[in-house]
Amino acid sequence: MEILVYGTINSVSLALMGLGFAMVYGISRVPNFAHGALYIICGFVTWTLLQKLGLPYGLAIVLSLAANGILGILMYRLVLIRVRGMSISEIISSYAIGLAILEGLRYGGFRGMTYTLPVFMDGMVVIGGVPVDYHRIVMVIIGILLVAGLWLFTHFTKLGLALQGMAQDERAALMLGIDSDFMAMLAMGFGAILAGVAAITILPLGNIVVESGYHVLIMSIAVCIVGGLGSWMGAFFAAFIIGYAQILSVVFLGSHFQMVVALLAIILTLILKPSGLFGQQKELEDRV
Amino acid sequence: MLNATDLMVFYENMLALNNISITCQKNRITGVFGANSAGKSTLMYSLSGIMLDIQKKEKMAGGERITLYGQLEFEGRDIMNMKPSNRARAGIVLCPERRRLFSESSVIENLRIGGYLATKEQAKVSLEFVMALFPALTKLQKRLAGFLSGGEQQMVAIGRALMAQPKILLLDEPLMGLSPLMQATLIRAVKKIQEESDISIIVAEQYARPVFPIVDYAYILENGAAVMEGTRDELMDNPDVKSAYFGMS
Repeated sequence: MEILVYGTINSVSLALMGLGFAMVYGISRVPNFAHGALYIICGFVTWTLLQKLGLPYGLAIVLSLAANGILGILMYRLVLIRVRGMSISEIISSYAIGLAILEGLRYGGFRGMTYTLPVFMDGMVVIGGVPVDYHRIVMVIIGILLVAGLWLFTHFTKLGLALQGMAQDERAALMLGIDSDFMAMLAMGFGAILAGVAAITILPLGNIVVESGYHVLIMSIAVCIVGGLGSWMGAFFAAFIIGYAQILSVVFLGSHFQMVVALLAIILTLILKPSGLFGQQKELEDRV
Repeated sequence: MLNATDLMVFYENMLALNNISITCQKNRITGVFGANSAGKSTLMYSLSGIMLDIQKKEKMAGGERITLYGQLEFEGRDIMNMKPSNRARAGIVLCPERRRLFSESSVIENLRIGGYLATKEQAKVSLEFVMALFPALTKLQKRLAGFLSGGEQQMVAIGRALMAQPKILLLDEPLMGLSPLMQATLIRAVKKIQEESDISIIVAEQYARPVFPIVDYAYILENGAAVMEGTRDELMDNPDVKSAYFGMS
């Protein structure tokens, strides 16, 4: 039971981390290696608004999410737009931006264990003999709502459908009047906001430390590779596979095996099925 | 309504389009015929502006240098440097070679994505028009576009382009790889688009024979140059055209 409950919680938090990365890559084919940095900076911005300026928690969250979206859009407009389509340059430049943000925060004084966000709700409940605090339950609910919302958005709204079209064939979308640079910019903004949502829901469970930016980046890459790059539904399922595998390894092997499991999952996927669980674009093409 | 004057396109130093001037009148079907590599697709990409996107991408990646010269005018406006997405907005919609459907989306989603530029009301009307034009699609709405047959895919591709509210529809090799029966069905549909709307159509095809009966005016391309042009009847009577494109002497 413990495995089931904590496996689910862990999986949802991985899915939250990975969704933004998967979405940006799926739509604009830009591997956003600054994803972890966007995650952490959102945490620090929220902390600053909340603790230094004394804004109410809800307002601080909304403002920092908006700031994150703008940051993502600026990143695209100022830098990534010039290298889009060249994978190596995309990786190098987005990683460089990520490093600059993360190390900049470190030198800017955001060090140590003193930065924390309050949980949304205090208290806990016992599920099947396992104590779970309310915040973790809220996190699972947010994760599920987010995935459901994304699914509805990409299937039933004009903008979501356009993003889906662009993800599959950018030039064909262009022929239908879908401006690909604008859409890629929007995707980057959405991705940054998703990173922010992940930060705000996950960070209250621990301290805000710069290092977890790298951790989030590695986990989201793991989730996306196992799920199949570009398929955010795949990323969601992969999050559950890795999430449970991690909890199992904690229970049976020891807590320091958590990271090993994720990295092993990347390597095994690349060896056994490089396109990932749901990366089946190629197969579909072969059949027709 | 669409006028291209002295259009030239270079890939590095290779001349892909050589001084082509073509015109398409309102609600007319214009044919562009020519063998492989005669420049049909290059012409279609230049008219729809996709060439500018190809040019940009090649330039960023340090690939081929593509240069365009000439004048392009649509409804009295100069559109030579207009972005492809804005050209689509203005009403020039390309239905590309090899269809390029969104193969992981269903048929109805493909059509809805096509309706990105349409208002809700327009999209509804266009969807009804497409379904009346291709009744075969009605049953296939929920199927993934990638799993359809070639002919059905072409129907979706034309339907998707129609959803974008074109004033001029560019069809690049719509009959490629299809059975004669399917070709006839599609050609009838193209004729019907002309009759039941005021859309102008440019069809580029390798084989003139199936398309010829419905065109009002046609151009014949060879090695990137328009070597002949005329109304359907003029070209029909031309002995060179007969032997080269209809297999008659």
